Amino acid sequence: MPGWYFDKQELKHTPSGAAGLDYKTEMRYRKEGARFIIDTGMKMDLGYNTTATGVVYYHRFYMFHSFQQFPRFVTACCCLFLAGKVEETPKKCKDIIKIAKALLADNKFATFGSDPKEEVMTLERVLLQTIKFDLQVEHPYLYLLRYAKCLKGDKAKLQKMVQMAWTFVNDSLCTTLSLQWQPEIIAVALMYLAGKLSKFEVVDWVGRNPAHLRWWDMFVEDVTMDLLEDICHQVLDLYSQPEVKSSSESPPPGASRPAAASPSNQSTSRQSNGATTSTTASSASTASSTSEKTQISPETVPPPVNTRIPPPSDVPYPYQTFTHAPPPISYGTPVSFAPPVNTPPPLLGPSPIPSLLSAPPPNAFPPFVNQPPPFTPVVPPPNASFFGNGLPQGHTRHRPPFFPP
Amino acid sequence: MAQSSSNGQDKSSNTYEALNKIGRGAYGTVYKARDKQTGQEVALKKVCIPLSEDGIPMNTLREIALLKQLNAYDHPNIVKLLDICHGQQIGKDLMMFLVFEHVEQDLAMYIEKHTKGFKTTEIRNLSKQIVHGVDFLHSNRIVHRDLKPQNLLVTSDGHIKLADFGLAKTYDFEMKLTSVVVTLWYRSPEILLGLPYSTAVDIWSIGCIIVELFTRKPLFCGKSENEQLNEILRVLGKPPKDEWPAKNAPIKWSSFDINEKVDIKSIAPSMCENVLSLVMNMLTFDPNKRITALEALNHEYFLEEPINT
Repeated sequence: MPGWYFDKQELKHTPSGAAGLDYKTEMRYRKEGARFIIDTGMKMDLGYNTTATGVVYYHRFYMFHSFQQFPRFVTACCCLFLAGKVEETPKKCKDIIKIAKALLADNKFATFGSDPKEEVMTLERVLLQTIKFDLQVEHPYLYLLRYAKCLKGDKAKLQKMVQMAWTFVNDSLCTTLSLQWQPEIIAVALMYLAGKLSKFEVVDWVGRNPAHLRWWDMFVEDVTMDLLEDICHQVLDLYSQPEVKSSSESPPPGASRPAAASPSNQSTSRQSNGATTSTTASSASTASSTSEKTQISPETVPPPVNTRIPPPSDVPYPYQTFTHAPPPISYGTPVSFAPPVNTPPPLLGPSPIPSLLSAPPPNAFPPFVNQPPPFTPVVPPPNASFFGNGLPQGHTRHRPPFFPP
Repeated sequence: MAQSSSNGQDKSSNTYEALNKIGRGAYGTVYKARDKQTGQEVALKKVCIPLSEDGIPMNTLREIALLKQLNAYDHPNIVKLLDICHGQQIGKDLMMFLVFEHVEQDLAMYIEKHTKGFKTTEIRNLSKQIVHGVDFLHSNRIVHRDLKPQNLLVTSDGHIKLADFGLAKTYDFEMKLTSVVVTLWYRSPEILLGLPYSTAVDIWSIGCIIVELFTRKPLFCGKSENEQLNEILRVLGKPPKDEWPAKNAPIKWSSFDINEKVDIKSIAPSMCENVLSLVMNMLTFDPNKRITALEALNHEYFLEEPINT
C-alpha cells in the first residue's frame, strides 16, 4: 500500500527525534517494542501473521507519534490487540495485559498506569486513526514461500535456505525494514542472504526466461544488488550488537562479526530450555556479503534475536515455530502470481518433507502457530450481511482482482 | 490519557464541514461535505458502531480492512474511499465516518434526465460497467445487497461507480431511528422470501436495472414483499414447483395464482436478442441457476460488435 514507505532520511526525522530522542535510542525502542510483541504473541499462541501485523502497526504508529508521548509497551499491547482482531485471532485485552505484566519489569509495566486495560483500549482509536485504518498488512512470509516454490535445486538445501530466510524475516521485524520496502523485496533480499549463508545457489527456476538474469527478476523489478545488500545489512546489524541485559552465559561471539562459523553451526548450537542467546544469529552474521559497516554503539541494548527454546519433541513436523520452521513447501503446484486477497496460501499440497527435517530444525522453538499458516479466509460474520453466504456455483473463488494493484 | 483525546476524537468535525444531507441510500445518512483544507467535496457516510467490551468489534474491523484493501485496487467502477475517521462516542456507540468521493449524479437522475431514452450502445456500455463493478465486489466476496439506480453513481464523463456497499447495514445509525421505506424493486425472490442469499442477489438487481435502462421505468414495482413477489411472478411466470424452496419459504408456491407470463420483450421492445438472453439469465428464479457476474462479462451481449446493437 502506498504511503507507508519512508526513506532513510525520513526515518531519522520522526516525531520522537523532533521531541529530542536520539536515533539510536529510538531504534532500540522500536526493537524492544517489536520484540515484546513477538514474545507476547508467542506466549498467546498467536500466529506469525498476527504478530507481524502487530509489529508493522507499531512501527507505523511511531512515524506519527513520539515514544515520549506514547509509552512503547502500551502501544505494543494495543498493536497486538488490534492485529489479533484484524487477523481473526482475537485475544482479550485483559489477557494481553496479563502476559505483559508477566513479561515486563515492574517499572516498565508501571507505564500502563492504574487502569492498564483502559489505557490500551483508549489507545485503540488513536492507533486506528494513525495507521489510517490500513489494517490489512502483507508480510514477506507469503512471498518467501511462493518464490521458494519456483526455485530448482537440491530440495534439502532449498528447505534449509527457506528456513533460514524465514528466521531472517522474523528478525527483520525488529528493524524498520517494513517501513522501507515492500514485503516482496524483503523476501527476495533475505532469501538471497539465506542462499549465500546456506550455500544454496540458485541456478535455475521455474518460469525462467531469457530476460531474467537472476531468479528474482521474475518477481520484482529494479532491485539492485546494492539494495539487496543494504537490506541484508540492516538485518545482520541486529546480530552484531552486544548483548547487554541478557544474563545469558554465552554472549554472542558475533559482537564483532566473527569470520568463521558456517551456517551449519546453527544445528549444533541449540540451547537448552529457556536459554536466550543469539548463536544462530551471530553465525549468520558471517555472511560473505557482510563487509565492514555500521558501528554499533556499545550502549545499544542487544537485539532480541528470535532464538528461543527448542520445540517439544512430541510436536510433529510440520510445526511452525516463530523463528525457524516455515511451512513445508510443496512442489509441482502451479504458482499463482497474482496476490489473491485474503486467500489461503496455495501451498498445502502434498508436502514432501525434506530429510533434513528428520531432526527438528536447528534452534527451533515452541510451536508458534498451529499450522497451516493462518491466512484466514474471510468468514462471513454471522450478522454482517454484506458478506455473502457463499459464492454462486462456478464462480472462481480466488480469481485475481480486476486490476492488479 | 489526555493526549489521546486530541488525536482520537472527532477528527471528522475538524476536517470536514457538512453541507447538506444527501440521504442517498435508504439505510444510512450520507452527507455532502467539504474538506476544509482542500475544499474538495466529499460524501460522508455516518455509521454507528456498537462497542463491545473489547473495543471495536472484530467484524467491523475486518470489514473496514477489506474496504481499505479494495480501495487500493482503484477499480474504475467502484466509488473511491478517501478517508475514515471516527467521531464522538455516544454511550456504547462509536460514530464513524466513511469519507467517499462525491459524485453529483446517480443513475436514477441520469435516467430521468434522458427523456428520449438511451442509445443501445450506451445501454450496453453502462450495463457492462455495472457488471464489471459487481464482478469486482464478488471476486472479493462482497455482496452489495442493495443495488439500485440510486446507488450507481454516474460521473460527469459517463462512468458508473458503485456506491453504498460495505459495512454491514446493521451498523447503520439511521436505520435504528427511522423506519425508512426501503425500495423492494430490485430485490431478488430469495431476499423477498427471507431465504439465505449470496452474490446472486446482485445479479438479479442488475437484470432489473438493465431493463429499466431500456424502458426508463422500474421493471417490478411492488409496495410490499408480497406484492413485489407477485409482480415478479406475474411477468416471469411461476417457476417450476421443484424450484420453489419447499421447506423454508414462508409463502407457498400454490398461493400464487399465476398461469401465463409476460414477455420481457413486450415490455422493452427495443431489446435485441443478446441483451434479452442476458437479462433472462439474470432474472432466473433459482439463484443457483442465475448467471454470475463473471459469466455475464463473457456473455454474447458484451462481446458482440458495437455495430450490431
